[in-house]
Amino acid sequence: MAHETEHTSNHPTFNQYVLIAVILFAITIVEFVLIWERAGIVGHLGASKVPLLVALSAVKFAIVIMYYMHLKFDPRFFGTVFIAGLALAFLVGIALIGLFVGFGGEPRGYAEANAVPFVHGSSEPAETKHETPVVAGPVAVTIGAVGESFTFDTGSFSANSGVNVTVTFENPSANNQHNLVIVQPGTKDAVATAGMAAGADNNWVPPDDARVIKSTALINPGGSGDVTFTAPSAGTYQFVCTFPGHNFTMFGDFIVQ
Amino acid sequence: MAHAAEHEYTTTGLNHRKMLMWVFLGSDCLFFGSLIATYMVYRGQSLVGPYPVDIIDVPLTTISTFVLLMSSFAMVQALAATHADNRKGIVNWLLATAFLGAIFIGFQIYEFNAFKNEGLTLGGNLFGASFFTLTGFHGAHVTLGIIWLVAMAILGAKGRLGPKTALDVELVGLYWHFVDIVWIVIFTLLYLIGGFDVGPAAPPGGH
Repeated sequence: MAHETEHTSNHPTFNQYVLIAVILFAITIVEFVLIWERAGIVGHLGASKVPLLVALSAVKFAIVIMYYMHLKFDPRFFGTVFIAGLALAFLVGIALIGLFVGFGGEPRGYAEANAVPFVHGSSEPAETKHETPVVAGPVAVTIGAVGESFTFDTGSFSANSGVNVTVTFENPSANNQHNLVIVQPGTKDAVATAGMAAGADNNWVPPDDARVIKSTALINPGGSGDVTFTAPSAGTYQFVCTFPGHNFTMFGDFIVQ
Repeated sequence: MAHAAEHEYTTTGLNHRKMLMWVFLGSDCLFFGSLIATYMVYRGQSLVGPYPVDIIDVPLTTISTFVLLMSSFAMVQALAATHADNRKGIVNWLLATAFLGAIFIGFQIYEFNAFKNEGLTLGGNLFGASFFTLTGFHGAHVTLGIIWLVAMAILGAKGRLGPKTALDVELVGLYWHFVDIVWIVIFTLLYLIGGFDVGPAAPPGGH
């Protein structure tokens, strides 16, 4: 196949295509090496590398459209049509970004002030947490959080339907506010989303929400709070911290038998 | 038919079908340009994780980028084989292109699934919304290209592709290379540059 003769003389030969592929690969390797030393280091990519990375990808872009897409050899008007669309897209993008930066104030300001960190492995419930054995009569449990992490120290607790349940939440964190909300089965994320909409004034808990069985106040660092309620009908309910973002990691099961 | 194909009526002196493809690609630039601009506007604006540095796997995606670049090489070979009237070459290179594209899609499915398991969803935060919309629509373009390539390979196996119908292969090639260059841009902006964007107070030592 390598020795086919091109019927159209204006297309590159096999060897030239191989050369182009090698160049494209080499540029990608250079890009990877440029950013690889950054991997695993916290912080922003060295800003000086951004123009270089953009330039390298622009070179790849140009090589592909000129050679693989034959714009270098084809009538110029094809390229004009394409570049017109590309230029318009570029201008739209710049205009859009400019609008948001121009009218949005500090672009990262709000997120930097309000965003919450992400903790890995959050969507999987932890298996190692201890469980409180079920007792027949009234139940009183004390639940804490694990240090500064966004996890409860208790994976689940149980009660019989109809008994009085008292849950005391102790917040060991030095920095973070938490709450503890008992919710209907499988609704922890939905309640937390609704709680985020309800805002800090409602302790991040949606008011008058049928999915919420009981909730503590928002507990400040080092503080504690408790709630008492009657265990509902049998089922696997959930408890969750509805402070924005915490619900992905900070939850457990409340099992009613 | 061959006669008609060689002397196609045209008002511009340029082949209409090829012009149509270039006009479409020019308009598709606007489609992806808007999605890319949206991603850039929302970059660093997410209030909850996961953030890019928590989940973006640059080495893995570098490999899938290589695969897509390789598929572009296979595509030009398919066109060369068409001009050379090499029926076996046409079919093999077209299928090779489709196969490499399918590997790329496989990487993307794996990546999307891994991200979902880490908690990144379309509706979870701005990063997830803009990331999945942009890369998802690119993946949809690749998938359409694979279907087109396989259809062309079937035509080739039936002996219906050759120098006289080389434009049929050239058009799918233009589309395929366009999908490749869109990925070149996405890879640079979302992975090489944006892949290390951190959320607040990232744990020491990264991930």
